[in-house]
Amino acid sequence: MRGRTRAELFANAALGLLSVAVELQQVKPINTYPLAVAGDDEQSLLVNWLSEILYYLDGERVVMNRFEIREITPTSIRALGFGEPRDPARHPAKLVVKGITYHQLRITKDSGGWCAEVYLDI
Amino acid sequence: MSAKVELREIDPIRFVIPQDSKRGMRTSVLIFANRKILDEIRSDLSLEQAANVATLPGIVGPSLAMPDIHQGYGFPIGGVAATDWQHGVVSPGGVGFDINCGVRLVRTSLTADEVRPRLSELINQAFRDIPCGTGGSGHIELNKRQLDEVLEEGAGWAVAAGYGEPVDLEFCEEHGCLADADPEKVSERAKQRGLPQLGTVGSGNHFLEIQYVESIHDTEAARIMGLEPNQVTVLIHCGSRGLGHQVCTDYLAEMGSAMKRYGIVLPDRQLACVPIQSPEGQSYLAAMRAAANFAWANRQAILHMLRGSLRKIFGNNVQARLIYDVCHNIAKRERHVVDGVKRDVLVHRKGATRAFPPGHREIPAEYRSIGQPVLIPGSMGTASWVLVGAEGAMRESFGSVCHGAGRLMSRTAARKGQNARQVLERLAQQGILARSETRDGILEEIPEAYKDVDEVIEVVHQAGLARKVARLRPMGVIKG
Repeated sequence: MRGRTRAELFANAALGLLSVAVELQQVKPINTYPLAVAGDDEQSLLVNWLSEILYYLDGERVVMNRFEIREITPTSIRALGFGEPRDPARHPAKLVVKGITYHQLRITKDSGGWCAEVYLDI
Repeated sequence: MSAKVELREIDPIRFVIPQDSKRGMRTSVLIFANRKILDEIRSDLSLEQAANVATLPGIVGPSLAMPDIHQGYGFPIGGVAATDWQHGVVSPGGVGFDINCGVRLVRTSLTADEVRPRLSELINQAFRDIPCGTGGSGHIELNKRQLDEVLEEGAGWAVAAGYGEPVDLEFCEEHGCLADADPEKVSERAKQRGLPQLGTVGSGNHFLEIQYVESIHDTEAARIMGLEPNQVTVLIHCGSRGLGHQVCTDYLAEMGSAMKRYGIVLPDRQLACVPIQSPEGQSYLAAMRAAANFAWANRQAILHMLRGSLRKIFGNNVQARLIYDVCHNIAKRERHVVDGVKRDVLVHRKGATRAFPPGHREIPAEYRSIGQPVLIPGSMGTASWVLVGAEGAMRESFGSVCHGAGRLMSRTAARKGQNARQVLERLAQQGILARSETRDGILEEIPEAYKDVDEVIEVVHQAGLARKVARLRPMGVIKG
């Protein structure tokens, strides 16, 4: 995943995870879901953030297709997710993601912006 | 490391990575493999990961690599690590996200010739009756109190609720229930993920396979298990679904933070661990046992639904008896002899199967003379194996053996350049009918994605970890 800023990277990472797991084309952003996650460092923040999105998808049965990052530091993130309850007819599942791993996890920043590589256990 | 690591050959099926190969290793790595399998193993990071496991505080004996080993997350899949019960650590990565993923084998009163003409009907019926795939929910509605009972009672809850027969419990590892499970140590989030999923197979490499006994390799053991040539068997492969996944996620996060307090530094964060005797370690084990119990109840409910499918097609007289149920993602307290001394250890089996030898008191009385049944699924185009545990497993591998053929390709790699229709046609030409909710479900599990299961089995048989009993050929596969 890439992003011009750390905030954009995290928003894109969430969208990347969701697009692997479920068909997003027909998601209507009719509800807002407040999201707040912390981590010991940037890597655990990303893993915990994606784990939160995965929990919403698999536990709360909510699918989101847009994220507004309100506040982000290397160890905390506060955001709003926009989406709706999962409807298997309109949001067919593509893949069951078991969890987010630290395996070869990389977060880098260069002149082109931010980049992260995350492996999902599927 | 895997490609260039210096291995010491002990004999043609045992290799060692010495303890001084990598900084921080507290023990060596013992690999069970022949040269061909070893070359395959060295193409990924699994040996590096097995060496990382050797750095775990309190590890007892070598870090073990079974012949089906392949790259996982933190721990390799096909790895075994025992840690000292008093002074060692517990690592959720040594169990994995899918806690108590396992297999159960069912023998039927049907022959392959009886099933073949109605195989398509049976597959379709089972596909209707048994929820498979990415859909999150099943037919069993639980309230939160009932879910807590499932977490405490495992397969016994399912039988008491009418999903199966009491005799089924005799033929499950641990009778389908780990003691000292604590539902209170399972987060509300994990329960929320698991609540609608009891009695569902799931997706990924999970499946239900209709097979027949192609060949018998140990007549006496096969007789005691009730296996005969051409008899139809069914293999069920699944685990603890979202509930187990969330338990692992929760405790990986907690342990990642707690490790610093315990001064533990590891080469891979996915190996996150804490002392077994710490509050965090005890909480994880109590939650892991609860998730394991959910998995046993899940496989029990699926067996019940399978029996219903069989009866709908073949009538009420058809018999489907459980041969055995084993878990292959688990951490269990066991007593093993290490360097001549009995020690209590926590055996992490990450993609590895318990394989206790004849006479062991934890084997059902009916099987005590032959050893614990060990069930090894291959790929959907090849074969699965029934083995029994042997003495060598107690001497060399903490009573453990492999759990499958072992992947050669990642799921992503397996999907590339393949056409689902052609794969299905190719399987049909071999007499194998496959049905999956998704096209990817078929592609990811193509036979070429796996090592040769017969070679893997030959290694563990020759090593004396387990003995061959029967080879099972697939006829029909239902996949998520």
